[in-house]
This record gives sequence, C-alpha cells and structure tokens, in this order.
Amino acid sequence: MSVSDANATLAARDAAAPPAELPRLAVEQASYAYAHQRRSAPMFTLGATSFQARQREVVAILGPNASGKSTLMQVISGALKPLSGRVLLDGVEIRSLGTRTRAQRIALVEQQSPLVFPATVGDYVLQGRHAYGRALHLATEEDVGLAMNALAQVGAEHLADRRMDQISGGEKQRVILARALAQQPLLLLLDEPTLHLDIGAQVDLLERLRRLCEENRQTVIVVTHELGLAAEFADQVVLLHAGKCLRVGTAAEVYQRELLEQVFGAAMDVEIGPAGRPRVSLRSRASGEPRRTM
Amino acid sequence: MRPLTLRRLLWTCGSLVAVLLVLIVLVLRLGPAPISVTELVMNLGRMAIGRINQLPADDQLIVFGIRLPRILLGVMVGASLSVAGASFQALLRNPLADPYVLGVSSGSATGALIAMMVAPQFALATPLAAFLGAVLTITGVYFLGLRDGNLDSTTLLLGGIISASFLSSVIMFLLTLSPRDLRGMPFWLMGDLSTPPVSELQWIFLVGLIVGIGAIYTTAADLNLLLTGEREAAHLGVEVTRVKLVVYVAASLLTALAVSASGAIGYIGLLVPHAMRFLFGSDYRILIPTSALGGAIAIVAADALARTVAAPTELPVGAVTAIAGAPIFIYLLRRRMR
Amino acid sequence: MFVDQIKQGRWRSETRAMSFAVAALVLLAAAGIFSLPLHASARSQNAPARLTVTDDLGRTIEVPQPVRRMVSLAPSMTETVFALGAGDRLVGDTTACDYPAAAQTIAKVGSVQAPSIETIVTLRPDLVLATKSLNRDATVEALSRLGVPVYVTDPHTVQEVLTSTARLANVIGATHGGQALVANLQTRLNSLRQRLSGVPPRRILFVVWMDPLISIGRNTFITDALSWADAQSVVETSQDWPHVSLEAIVQLRPEYLVFAGQHGDAAVPSLADLQNRPVWRDLEAVRAGRLAIVSAALARPCPRIVDAIEELARDLHPEVFPENQP
Repeated sequence: MSVSDANATLAARDAAAPPAELPRLAVEQASYAYAHQRRSAPMFTLGATSFQARQREVVAILGPNASGKSTLMQVISGALKPLSGRVLLDGVEIRSLGTRTRAQRIALVEQQSPLVFPATVGDYVLQGRHAYGRALHLATEEDVGLAMNALAQVGAEHLADRRMDQISGGEKQRVILARALAQQPLLLLLDEPTLHLDIGAQVDLLERLRRLCEENRQTVIVVTHELGLAAEFADQVVLLHAGKCLRVGTAAEVYQRELLEQVFGAAMDVEIGPAGRPRVSLRSRASGEPRRTM
Repeated sequence: MRPLTLRRLLWTCGSLVAVLLVLIVLVLRLGPAPISVTELVMNLGRMAIGRINQLPADDQLIVFGIRLPRILLGVMVGASLSVAGASFQALLRNPLADPYVLGVSSGSATGALIAMMVAPQFALATPLAAFLGAVLTITGVYFLGLRDGNLDSTTLLLGGIISASFLSSVIMFLLTLSPRDLRGMPFWLMGDLSTPPVSELQWIFLVGLIVGIGAIYTTAADLNLLLTGEREAAHLGVEVTRVKLVVYVAASLLTALAVSASGAIGYIGLLVPHAMRFLFGSDYRILIPTSALGGAIAIVAADALARTVAAPTELPVGAVTAIAGAPIFIYLLRRRMR
Repeated sequence: MFVDQIKQGRWRSETRAMSFAVAALVLLAAAGIFSLPLHASARSQNAPARLTVTDDLGRTIEVPQPVRRMVSLAPSMTETVFALGAGDRLVGDTTACDYPAAAQTIAKVGSVQAPSIETIVTLRPDLVLATKSLNRDATVEALSRLGVPVYVTDPHTVQEVLTSTARLANVIGATHGGQALVANLQTRLNSLRQRLSGVPPRRILFVVWMDPLISIGRNTFITDALSWADAQSVVETSQDWPHVSLEAIVQLRPEYLVFAGQHGDAAVPSLADLQNRPVWRDLEAVRAGRLAIVSAALARPCPRIVDAIEELARDLHPEVFPENQP
C-alpha cells in the first residue's frame, strides 16, 4: 500500500469524524489517587487537570520527576480510570470504549524491555495491527502495507527483516514508534521518548513527530522533563508539579520565570526567541550570569 | 517482511502430521511379536472402515489391544504437555517454565499417593485422585498468584514454586511414613505409559485435550503481544485479564489430565516448545499446533525406545525423556547463543 | 478472507488433504481407544473350559482348564511352581527368578516391577501368577483388562504360605504334588514348634540394610517366619521397613544379629567387618560373635522358607539341636 493510499484511508476516516468544533482530545478535570496499601489513606498522584488538544497538534506534558506526568498519561490512554472527571476523544469518553476500539484510536509508546523471545522487526510492527484483526489475526495485505508504511515514516524500512535483539537502541526506539503508528491511532502518546537519546537523536525524533503529526493528522502528546525540547516543538504545554497542574497554554504563556523556578527548583532566565518560542537559560547562583542555554 | 500466512501454517502442521503418522506405523511394528508393515496397514485400514471381525485374532490383540492404545495415550500426553509448557512460557514470560512449575504435578502426585495408600484396590481411584489433587493445586496457586485482584506473572510463579516445593515435601513425608511399601510411586513420579487408564477416562482426556488446546489457540495471537509486556499488550487491544485466566486454567488442566493419565513425564513440556521455536519461529499461532504435534512425536519416539532398549524390561518413558532431554537442551542452548 | 479463497477454488486440494489427515488421526484415536474392551471380550469367547476361582485377594477369575502355559511374575511364584512339580508348564518368568537353576532358562518377560505386557501376551499364557507385595497393581490391572487371567497371592504369614500353595496347586492342576508338598512342610513346621516349645525366644535384630540401618516391622512376613524359629525382633513398629537408629539398637541389646543372604552379598557383612565398625562393635551380639546368616529364602514366601526357618532355628538355639554341633 502506498503512502497516498494510507492517506486516503485517513481522509475517509476524518470525513466520518464528528464536526470540527469538537476538540480531538478533551481532558476534563481528570484526577487520580491510589492507596499504597489497602488500609492507608489514598495519595493523590494527580490533581484535577484539564486541557484540550486538536488534530495536528503536539502537546507536551512537562514537569520534573514524580510530578504526575506518567499518571496523567495513563489516564489519557484509558489504562487508568480517573477518580474524578473524564477524558474524551472526539466527544466519546475513552473509558467507555472497548479494549479493541481504544487500541484503534490510541497508541502508547513506552520503553520496550528486552523481549523474551525476540521476533523480527516486521512481526513486531505488525503487532500494531492486532486491534484490526479477528481470530488468529493473520496479517492481510493491507496490514503488511500499513506496517511497511509505518516503518517508512520512521525511516526504518530497511530493518524489516532484522531481529529485535539485533538492532541498536535508537533503531529500536523508531521501531516501537512504527508499531504505534501501525495502529493508525487518532492520538499518539509518548512517555519520555527522549530518555536515552543524545541531543541529535532527540531533535531528530521530535522533528519526525511534528512531521508525522501533520501527515497523519494525529494528535501527539509527549511526556517529558526536557524544557528546551518542549519549548521548541510543542504547540501546547501542560505544566505539572507534585501532582498538580499549574498552567496550560502555549510555551510562551507557560514559561514564566517564577513558575519554572518553583517547579524545577533551579534559577533560570527566560527569553523569547525570534520564532516566538521561549528559550530557557540556567543561571548560576554565584555570578548571576546566564550559564547555559538549554 | 514475511508475516505468518495460513498457507505456511497448514503446510507446517500437515508435514508434522505426516511425520507423526509415519512414526506411529513404524513404532507399531516394534515389539516382541513380529508384524509386517503391509499387514499392519491393511489391518489399520480394515479397522478404519469398521471391519473389525476380519482381523486375525492374535495380531489384533497385540496391536490394537496393547500397542495402539499406548501410542495414542502417548500422543495425547505429548500434545498436552507441550502445549501447556509453551503456554506457561508465555504466561510467565519465562523461557524456563514447564508444565510443572506451578505445582500441578506435585499436587497430582500427592493425590495419587494418597489414593495408593488408602484405596489401592480401586483402579479408578489413582487417576481420579491425581486429577483432584491437581485441580486443588491449580485453585490454590491461582489465589496465591493474585495481586490487587489480577493474576500477576511473578507472583504466580513464586506461588507455584512454593506450592510445588511444599507438596514435594509432603510426598516425601508420606512415602517415609507409609505403612505399606508403595511400589507404583517411582513409576508414577517418572511418568509411565505401560498401564493406560480405562477407555472412559481416555475419552475424557481426548475431549479435555481438544477443548484445552482449542481454548489456548484462540489466544495465540494475544500471547505474542503479551510477551512484549502486559501494559503494551493492553494498549494494543489485548484483553489481558481474560487471556491470562483462560491460558492459566486451560494449560493447568492440560497438565492435570496428562499427569493423571501417565504420571509426571519430564522435559517434554520444557524442550519441545523450544525445539519448535528453533525450527518454526516464536509466533504462537504456529508454535501451539507444532508444539502439540512435536510433543506427540517426541513421546511416541521416547516410549518406543523405553519399550525396546532394555527388552523385555520396559523402562518408564520418563526415564528416557530425562536422559535424552538434558543433552538436547544443551544443544538448543548453544545454537541459540550463536 | 480464507473463506473467500476457498470459494475461488485456490485452497480446495490442500484443504481436502488436510481434512483427510485430521480425520484419519481422529479415527485412529477413536478406534484405538475403543478397541480394548472389544478384544478382551473376543478372547474370552474363544476360550475352552473355564474354572472360576478366587485368589488370595478375593478376586474372582476364570482360569482355562487345563492350565498348560503359565507365566510367573515373581521369584516366589516361580519357586512354588517348580516345587509343585509343574515347572515344565512355566513358559515365562522374570529376570529376578533365579531358583531353581531351571528357572533361569525360561523365557524372560522383564523385571518384576516393569514386565513387558506385550511379551507376556505373546507367550499366550493360560494363567499369570503374581504377588501383591512385589508386583505393581497397575500391571495386574493392565493384564486383566486384556483378558489375561491373573492369580494374585498374598500370604502374610508362613501358615498362609502353606494354604496359599495348596490352593494354587488346585488351580493349576497339581493337586497331588500340592498335597504332598504341603503335608511335608506342615509336618516339619509342627515338629520344629514342638522342639522349641518352652524355649524362651531369642531377641534378635534382623538387618535388611546397614547404611542406613533398616529393619522389619511387626506386620511383615519375615517377622512371622522368625517366630517359627522362636525368635523375636527387638524393633516394634507397624511400619514395614523402618529406618532405625543404631543408638536405639544399642539400648535394646539384641542377643543375635540376623542377616539374610550369602557371604559376599552387599547386605551381608562378616563378623570381622562388624568388629571394625564403630558403634556396631560395641553391640553385645557382635562382641560375643553371635551372628546368624540365613538363606535369602527367609524373605521369600515359598516352600524353601521352611528350610530357612529350620536353619535359623539351629543357629539361634544350638542347645536344642545338639545333633548339629560340630
């Protein structure tokens, strides 16, 4: 299947989608708490959070460690039921969708632990098509085409016949992304995708995500603690701190010096760059001079 | 990209079925009473058509009364143990899992032992008590393996290992204190096909086998995904809780049936899935049926050896699988490293 | 999708072949499983005259008459058959059947625990002889289901050996030989009892194995045999083969140590061996050199046991048998 065919499928789906006034993703006052042990009081890992996202938009969920980012991600993906509030995808509550339908609409990209029985890259990416199959879920020609397409979109076509334990970390990252793309999701969620990558690979990945977001008309949500990357690539930023959502808005709106210093616990300066995107520099305490541009 | 196709699936299984049938005919020839292949095939044919009265009397008894039921029991036991082993390897995400790791065989052995001690005169008592022991263990380990209301792989594995260990010590205890000398126990513990259970029980086994393997096969595609991680599988559209429950129950029941019928034959459930992975790949949609057939082939071959290698004494088949199993495992391990 | 392709005729031949293979396998399975009871009954219909008997376990079996071919599954059975004068009718025995010498030339059907069912059936025996204590229930079960009559003996005492032998003699058509044999054995036993009446029993330790130390329980056959030789085990337990501690034995102070077997057997030491072993050498019996080595037949429920009992009685009570003194 060619790229144009794939796009045609997407266009057809969009045509059947609800009217444009409805945001693609609406998180309404979603919160989460869990009790560590049965009898102890529940801890709030996520206070009520709300934001909306449209098609072709990249949203960064930003915050330091233990700020509730991953919990918010799990709530959005439908893995966790929010204690209060709800998450809507095209106006439909995510928790009300069946597992199969949810997998056709939402894809989550996480670190992949080493596989017990390593499969080929091709078979791994085909797993993304599971939600579209029946009985034995044997791959159809359409499935194979979409899987190859997904690999092409991440620039890993040449890896299709290699084994998962024979490719590098960066290549593996791209293959995992390809599997998510093969699901043809409306919403693509990535949990700290830049974690083990060097700066070049990080930028590479985010540029690719922007591009995919446009091409596939998806909504991309990235959980990260990288201030600079979020500022550069996100259309919207959700700032979390200690389980609370402090600010939602564009990067320029969210990156206020006092706010960032409070959240990240480091002295910093914020400038607005030529493209309207903020740039953050760390300030060293001793000299007061800008020390490093992030 | 070369995904699994129905064509490849059918051809692979078809070839293995052919190998199994040829092996069965060859093994039917083995034994103290000489039987020619042509005679044998003709008799099988007559039997298939239903003309049983036309079969010559003595050959009839030897082939159809002794050898064939034994071979068929071997086929069923081999298929159940291999599929159970492959299933547990997926469920526990552990290549070292075998059908006995969750304590089913120890529970079965305890049941069988108690039956041998208390009611040795009833032929049915031993397999039924063995099955009951297995079911109780399956239920117990299930509850041990629950965590936050869900079956957790690591907890399950630990619970199973502890149960197996505990029940083994119970068996040792009973064996030492038993007033009677329990002659049958070592054969049972090693696994022995020389004394098949009554036909009714064999029918139950066959039905259980088909249902069990069928149930597991419906989750074959899900198992492939489950192996990449439970959360990942859930996000890809797998009903993780349901799949784990079905696989746990079905695989445990398959083990329980096999062990009740023939004792605890070792190495088959562990090795056959690995051998089949080596030959045909790790995709569970092909691994399940090939493991079943591969297990059948392995047991029939091992039992043929057990019957002939120390003739006229018949070794228990578990002794053969144990001796042959270790070197084969080492060979597979080295191939995998390369 | 698969169905569509079938409709297009692309899969027709392959599907047909596969279906046949599967059907053949399933059919074979069903037939195999069904055939067992069918053929067992087929055999019994072709049988000649039959005699209904009850064996030692109370099982009712139909024995074809006359009994021309027998297979023995235990050494004691083999010996008994020969003692009854019917050894020429034995067509198969186990690898453990070593007495009398003629038994070793008979076709072997396998070990006592794991005989080959098929070999037994191939020999076409009219009757198979087995024991409860040595043979597996499963073996007896499997043979019975194939329509082969199995007679199981289970004597627990020496007296029961005699009655069991007499009944067996009737079953296999050796009534005369049986009566003579049993009468002779009974006489010898009775006279032995008479000579030993009033003599206090010797307290002995019967050693089955030394490392670990295994003796006998009160319900074993050997215990009964020992009582005929006016001997009593110092070990009192209901377990058949108890592991006992050597220290306990030292406390109990047996007068004699009894071993069954021959010099040179793994289980049978010489007096010198015992005198070199720690703790053993401190036993009264060892220091006084009171060691009795009796034939292995003491453990075997067959006619030869009376010989063994007599031998043991002479060893334990030398004063009662002055004629045997050197």
